[in-house]
Amino acid sequence: MNFLSMAGNTILEVNNLTTIFRHENQVTRAVDDISFSLQPGETLGIVGESGSGKSVTALSILRLIPNPPGKITKGTILYDSTNRGEINLLTLPEKELRKIRGMEISMIFQEPMTSLNPVFTSGVQVAETILQHLHVSRKEAKEMVLQLFDEVKLPRPAEIFRSYPHQLSGGQKQRVMIAMAISCSPKILIADEPTTALDVTVQRTILDLLREIQEKHRMSILFITHDLGLLGGFAGRVMVMYKGKAVEQGSSIEIFRHPQHPYTKGLISCRPPLDVRLKKLPTVEDFTSGDNGKIGLIQEESSRLFSLQNIQSAEEREKIHREIYSKPPIMTVSNIKTWFPVSFSLFGKPLDFMKAVDDVSFDVYSGETLGIVGESGCGKTTLGRTILQLVHATSGKITYEGVNLGKMKAEQLRNLRKELQIIFQDPYSSLNPRINAGNAIMEPMIVHGLNGNSRQQKERTIELLEKVGLQPGHFDRYPHEFSGGQRQRICIARALAVGPKLIICDESVSALDVSIQAQVLNLLNDLKRNFGFTYLFISHDLSVVRFMSDRLIVMKSGKIEEIGEADAIYAIPGSVYTRELLSAIPKPFL
Amino acid sequence: MGRFILKRFFYGILVLLGVIVINFFLFNVLPGDPARMMLGQRADIASVEAINKDLGRDRPLVIQFFNYLNDLSPVSIHNASDPESYWYLDQTKYNPVVKLLPLPGKDVIVLKTPYLRRSYQSKRMVSDILAEGFVNTIILAIVAMTFAVFLGIIIGILCAIWKNSFIDRISLVFSVLGMSLPSFFAAILNAWLFAFVLGSITHLNMTGSLFSVDDFGNGEYLDLKNLILPAFTLGIRPLAIIVELTRNSLLDILSQDYIRTARAKGLSKFRIITRHALKNAMNPVITAVSGWLASLLAGAVFVEFIFDWKGIGVVIVNALEKYDFPVVMGAVLFISVILVIINILVDIVYGMLDPRISRKS
Repeated sequence: MNFLSMAGNTILEVNNLTTIFRHENQVTRAVDDISFSLQPGETLGIVGESGSGKSVTALSILRLIPNPPGKITKGTILYDSTNRGEINLLTLPEKELRKIRGMEISMIFQEPMTSLNPVFTSGVQVAETILQHLHVSRKEAKEMVLQLFDEVKLPRPAEIFRSYPHQLSGGQKQRVMIAMAISCSPKILIADEPTTALDVTVQRTILDLLREIQEKHRMSILFITHDLGLLGGFAGRVMVMYKGKAVEQGSSIEIFRHPQHPYTKGLISCRPPLDVRLKKLPTVEDFTSGDNGKIGLIQEESSRLFSLQNIQSAEEREKIHREIYSKPPIMTVSNIKTWFPVSFSLFGKPLDFMKAVDDVSFDVYSGETLGIVGESGCGKTTLGRTILQLVHATSGKITYEGVNLGKMKAEQLRNLRKELQIIFQDPYSSLNPRINAGNAIMEPMIVHGLNGNSRQQKERTIELLEKVGLQPGHFDRYPHEFSGGQRQRICIARALAVGPKLIICDESVSALDVSIQAQVLNLLNDLKRNFGFTYLFISHDLSVVRFMSDRLIVMKSGKIEEIGEADAIYAIPGSVYTRELLSAIPKPFL
Repeated sequence: MGRFILKRFFYGILVLLGVIVINFFLFNVLPGDPARMMLGQRADIASVEAINKDLGRDRPLVIQFFNYLNDLSPVSIHNASDPESYWYLDQTKYNPVVKLLPLPGKDVIVLKTPYLRRSYQSKRMVSDILAEGFVNTIILAIVAMTFAVFLGIIIGILCAIWKNSFIDRISLVFSVLGMSLPSFFAAILNAWLFAFVLGSITHLNMTGSLFSVDDFGNGEYLDLKNLILPAFTLGIRPLAIIVELTRNSLLDILSQDYIRTARAKGLSKFRIITRHALKNAMNPVITAVSGWLASLLAGAVFVEFIFDWKGIGVVIVNALEKYDFPVVMGAVLFISVILVIINILVDIVYGMLDPRISRKS
């Protein structure tokens, strides 16, 4: 009956898969005619930026696309089932498919925080999968779960079994998810950005765990990620997706060493390199002409970016630094402590504190970019907010140009806010959806009474829009009409509107795709060169921080672990923690 | 969890103390002389003074307040021997009484049921009047809410599963209708339709309370069918709200990541909804239900009036009309106690449904 058949020794074969999303009358082809196959025990990586259709491809395999609005319109997904032989997952009745889900093909997802049900203990949730598919008693299932927890290296399995998701850390939750996924010894594991939401050191351990489990159970893994660097040592073969299409497919070594497609080339080179210090990052646009999504190599531009002129030598850097650090510091932070009370006595007296920032001191020099790096929860964001007086320090002193910020009156502080600005992480939530781009940028000028009358303010706003690489016509548009990168440009323009001297970039590029990240980083550096800003650049991304920073602060649990010249720290880490952090950066073939 | 409940209990007592203070002083500054109300406009001064003395109204307000507190407190101090004393342990007021500890002098510490005073009008104990009305009210409220909760959640789930289907649209129309229908109008409409027009089929009475009086002198008997119409009428609005809340909250939950995880496990749609989604979706419903239950327990005046249901709402309205302050004060206090208890219960239910609320991570 089944006239379609797979090549021998293939476990999964996807042919011409097309998935569309219908929003009102608009049809988007999220996945457009994708074909690939998976061998037993193999890892296939699917790489692409947000909106490239990589997650939709993964979800389409188990038909987990929310319908409506999503619909698989074309293609076959042939799977070599243990008991049923070769079957097409797209035409399989829902009831049969449910026996495949979790049993023969299982998934782990990007957000371990939201992928577990908050109202059940983690043990119960894993046991549920086992009870669904295997004919075992509750007691046996519990035993199996405890074994699985041990296998995914969770400490104290019995305790984790009884814990609710919110009582576990992000890494632990992802381990619980992995335990759930491998509980019925599936033949295929689909991992949809399993490490994106995790810290870099945790990411490393999760990848090691996946590799170990794969070897032990001889599973095939379909690994979806936006980070090419991650796949280097992990996936045997890689498929690169762009706007719903597969643009390149091949062994990962080949793709890293000799990328054929311009988009792949751009993707590989727009990540800040760790070996050399570039003046300007290449962007995907340097490799592709963006018109109508048509891709063609712009030879001239890319060759310039890879030339020696774009590499900043140690001598050049030293010269710049000598100039910056000869002057007295613009800001001095001394012994800052920011503690948040976590438990109270009956009469509201705080009993215990979360020491977000604990006795931190450093100087900031005019014209430098001071990077602050650390894992989530290390206090880097609180530190930034304390400096801006958005959060009050428990004790300590911050002097800016000789004035103690903590002692300032509200009125003085408001004047000072002109000089100290912040660009937040999430460009989606830091713009009010009901205020258009122009007015968002103009608002701080109006508040501070800057740049003359409203006509002059508007002119200035248009000037700013152009400076951050947007068009004057964007003035009247609303945030939802912009892409993520464009929104972050608006946020930058808004910070520039009041003529600041010191700008705190709090994870300003973390929510953006790598190619857009490169553009925004270049923009920040251009602006700095033109206006002589000082940046406090807060990020968890070690490569990005290195590219941006003159000096670097490494933070851990509220304290400064290490402070010094950025390149020097990367070359010879001074503390054990920094070394650990740096060794966890995923490295493609070097 | 135990500590959490204890804490809520402690706060509850604080709230009640506040209610008692406001209650007492408010009703003592309001116009209205109880002696005049008891004796009529043409009473002589001697009788008025005698009654004021009897009620203790000739004493300073602060003393009166402490006496009131002493009356309410289950553990109180009384004068055991002198019947003339303002603090005399009067067996007609405090009954039953357990003497705990004699103090030096004539005083004694006792354990008793709180004394809510007597009605100015009927001279009956306020606690008796309230208890009578409350039994009727609590039965009506619980039946109405049970009906609304069960039907509401089921219809809400169906609407969420078949979003935008015929069922969903029809129930939306009925929800809007139910929410906007005033209770007195719904009561009259139901009484007319089900007990008058269709009376010969349904055999329901247009009015009637939980107990009816036998025409042949055999006393009162339980008449459960009188419960149907008032409970249905009271349940309409909560039902409409619960349907919409369940539907919307469930739809919100069904788009969460952990529902996708549940699907990827291979669970059936039925199991995903009943096990993974419903427990998460219940919080807004619980909030609405507790609010409605509390307000129904405080008496549904219109419905009780129209169906002649002898509940607490009617008692309060009658007392207010006649300036019968002890009854009103007693009722206010009584309702506060109910609200505090319901709030504590709801917090416990929240904690059971969602472990993030009561436990510390």
